[in-house]
Amino acid sequence: MVLDALKRLTSGPKPVALLFALLLTSLYLMSGATQNSTTFGQLYSLVLVINIVALVLLVTLILRNLITLVLQYRRHTAGSRLTVRLVVMFVLLSTAPVSVVYYFAVQFLHRGIDSWFDVRVERALEDALELGRTALDGRLRDLTRQTRLLSEEFLGVPDTSVTLLVNDVRLRSDASELTLLTLSGRVIASSSSDPTDIIPTLPNNSILLQLQQGLDYTALEPLGNDMHVRVAVLIDATSPMGKPRVLQALYPMVERTSRLAESVQGAFAQYKELAYLRQPLKYSFTLTLSLVLLLSLLTAVWAAFFSARRLVAPISDLAEGTRAVAAGDYDTRLPLPGKDELGFLVRSFNEMTRKLARARDEAKRNREQVEGQRAYLEAVLGRLSSGVLTLDNNGVLRTANGAAGQVLNIELNRELGKTVTEVIAAGRPTLAQFFELLLPHLQEAVREWRAEIVLFGPGGRQVLMCRGSSLPNVGDIEGGHVIVFDDITALIQAQRDAAWGEVARRLAHEIKNPLTPIQLSAERLRRKYLQRMPPDDAEVLDRATHTIVQQVETMKEMVKAFSDYARPPNLQLRSLDLNSLIREVAELYRGDRQVRIRSSLGREMPPIEADAGRLRQVLHNLFKNALEAGEQTGRVTVRIATRCATEDSCRYVELTIEDTGPGFPDAMIGQLFEPYVTTKPRGSGLGLAIVKKIVEEHGGMLWAENIEGGGARITVRLPVRGGGKAFGEEVVPCQSQA
Amino acid sequence: MRGWLKRWRVWLVAGLLPFVCGTATAQGFAVREAKTRLAEGIFLLDARVDYRFSHKALEALYSGVPLTVRLDIEVQRKRRWWLDADVATLEQRYQLHYHALSDQFLLKNLNSGAIYAFHTLSGAVEVLGTIDDFPLLDARLIEPDEQYEVELRAGLDIESLPSPLRPLAYITPAWRLRSDWYTWSLTR
Repeated sequence: MVLDALKRLTSGPKPVALLFALLLTSLYLMSGATQNSTTFGQLYSLVLVINIVALVLLVTLILRNLITLVLQYRRHTAGSRLTVRLVVMFVLLSTAPVSVVYYFAVQFLHRGIDSWFDVRVERALEDALELGRTALDGRLRDLTRQTRLLSEEFLGVPDTSVTLLVNDVRLRSDASELTLLTLSGRVIASSSSDPTDIIPTLPNNSILLQLQQGLDYTALEPLGNDMHVRVAVLIDATSPMGKPRVLQALYPMVERTSRLAESVQGAFAQYKELAYLRQPLKYSFTLTLSLVLLLSLLTAVWAAFFSARRLVAPISDLAEGTRAVAAGDYDTRLPLPGKDELGFLVRSFNEMTRKLARARDEAKRNREQVEGQRAYLEAVLGRLSSGVLTLDNNGVLRTANGAAGQVLNIELNRELGKTVTEVIAAGRPTLAQFFELLLPHLQEAVREWRAEIVLFGPGGRQVLMCRGSSLPNVGDIEGGHVIVFDDITALIQAQRDAAWGEVARRLAHEIKNPLTPIQLSAERLRRKYLQRMPPDDAEVLDRATHTIVQQVETMKEMVKAFSDYARPPNLQLRSLDLNSLIREVAELYRGDRQVRIRSSLGREMPPIEADAGRLRQVLHNLFKNALEAGEQTGRVTVRIATRCATEDSCRYVELTIEDTGPGFPDAMIGQLFEPYVTTKPRGSGLGLAIVKKIVEEHGGMLWAENIEGGGARITVRLPVRGGGKAFGEEVVPCQSQA
Repeated sequence: MRGWLKRWRVWLVAGLLPFVCGTATAQGFAVREAKTRLAEGIFLLDARVDYRFSHKALEALYSGVPLTVRLDIEVQRKRRWWLDADVATLEQRYQLHYHALSDQFLLKNLNSGAIYAFHTLSGAVEVLGTIDDFPLLDARLIEPDEQYEVELRAGLDIESLPSPLRPLAYITPAWRLRSDWYTWSLTR
């Protein structure tokens, strides 16, 4: 607290200005004292000490500033570098001229002091002194002689009767005071022209000593304000009165002589003193000048610190403020330093930060609004059962809703930001198939399109209904494509089942129902008229009725086969080993000499969930189809192979059956699996259609192709239930390659 | 001319003094003896002080610079557990001055204003160093049961020198001429 108060008192411009004023005053006093002025002479030492103490204080103040500045510089405090630069500049600007002035002032001072002294003046003064002495010497000799004459009047006069004589003699002489003493200095009688002067001016011991040695004393004595000549002579000791006595006379100098003598003495003494003080004077003036220099310099240095700090403070504030703004703090408001340009700058800065803060708040509000809308849109998209994908103009996958991933059974978020080509190249089957099939539509320059595509994924065969639309460019947002797709596999199956069921119902109603009366009628005709008809007619009737019955039976079988085909699936799914089923069915055909069966069944095949009876029918139909192909060429080799395969997230078993027959005609290869499409003279035309139906009922898919060099191949893929992986799950690959 | 001769003599004496008296007593003031006696109810001081001016001081004196000698006299009452109490503090100042025209050394008692002239410096210095019958203290101021002590010190008064000389005088040993305190008991 006390320290703070002290700091407040000692910092700022006012105390320093006061200190400066005091120093200036004391320097003025010292300058006066140096010139030996009586006014300040007494204060000289005190003023000197005060000056030195003040300078030490100033140096301490500057050192404190300097240390603070160095520390700030090292810490890279904002504005410290500029302060250092300004301080150095100020100090250089102030030091250089002051130093030059100081140097020349000292030189001038020394030369000035030296110029006071001249050998000729000194010589003249000494001569004047000598002249004065010579002039006075004559006067002294006269006065000595006069005193000696006066002393003779006291010869033989006893001490008891000299008092009047002394006064009498003084009155007759020029002496202002006349004293008769013993040789030991005791006054016998005395007379003075000044009646108030009771005590006579006594000679000192050395004068008495000189007199005791028998020598008279004569000297000019500057006692008091006037000059006197003191003459002391020995009154003859050999007188009959016995003890020797001394007569001392004081003669005042003639006023004019006295004044001249004082003038000569004064001038000489002053000159000698000044000559003696020449060096100390130089030192003193130099000291005073140095103190003035130091004071000016130190004050300039302090002023440099002060003004640099004052100048830099708003700049430092600005730097700090800019840093704060760069760091995102727009609420910084700087104090206004004044009404100058810096003040204008700071005001502009404050205005800028205010505007920035307002802009930031607005941007934040807009962002929140946009985010809200986006979240709403995402929520809507997320609740959609249809998959929605968007692509930009470069074919980069931008967004995908949750349903898209669920339909495609794949984690789509990982694919965001990739182009369609990259996704295809990555080889993730479902997605690759999806985009491969969609690519032609995306590349078309149509605004809207619609396509039905079939995928084979982990969940088996999937039929997707896709609708695409190109998006327009909106502002900065680039357009692209939006694809909406639905899994319509179940829907199609249900529609087809319903259609075929209706056909089967109609067939049964329209065809199968009249067949029985036809057959019964034919049998009745036969039974009633065969016995009674002549043999020739009977034979005709027998053949005709037999044909009718047989064809009706055939038609019945055909209708039954069709009903079976159209019947809604009622699958009895259970886990079964496909290889065992194949071996079992293949065994039935091994007896045929025309057929050679080669099986290559995969080991460690996973069990599949299937209806064994229906799947057996598939195998029978496929074998039959192969054997019938061989009938055209004679001997036939049937190769049957199974394997477990894994593609991306899809795990399935694959069955291929090949024959060495002529292969499928190219024109029919696209419709092989449709009902009543056949190349054979016999058969219902439903064999492969039933195969396709059953395979699709099991979620599988199949296709047919011709083998190069002759022969046909039908490939069936059936999903392994539970073999498809969920998002992010690893699939354990089966090692069942034959 | 005589002044020059005298100065030469002084310089010679000042130069030879170290060899005669040893370096320790070459320059400086010293109170040789001091005592007090009671006469008619007044304590009188008798003292002998040696004034050995330094070469620099003598040079200044001959150059017309007056030298002021200060005599500090203190009478203190002794106290057992506390600082001694000042009973009387006296200061006697004498100015020694060379008068070139008369070739005399003038000794002025600055307290009384009395001036004495001497042909020789030694005469002046002898008178300066001889203090006889100096009235110090009224005996009535002295308590009979108390112990008193008198201290005497002589020194050159630098503050009386011309101001240009003072800074130098303060830092030059040749100018700092001052005796140690000479102490004795005040007895009736």
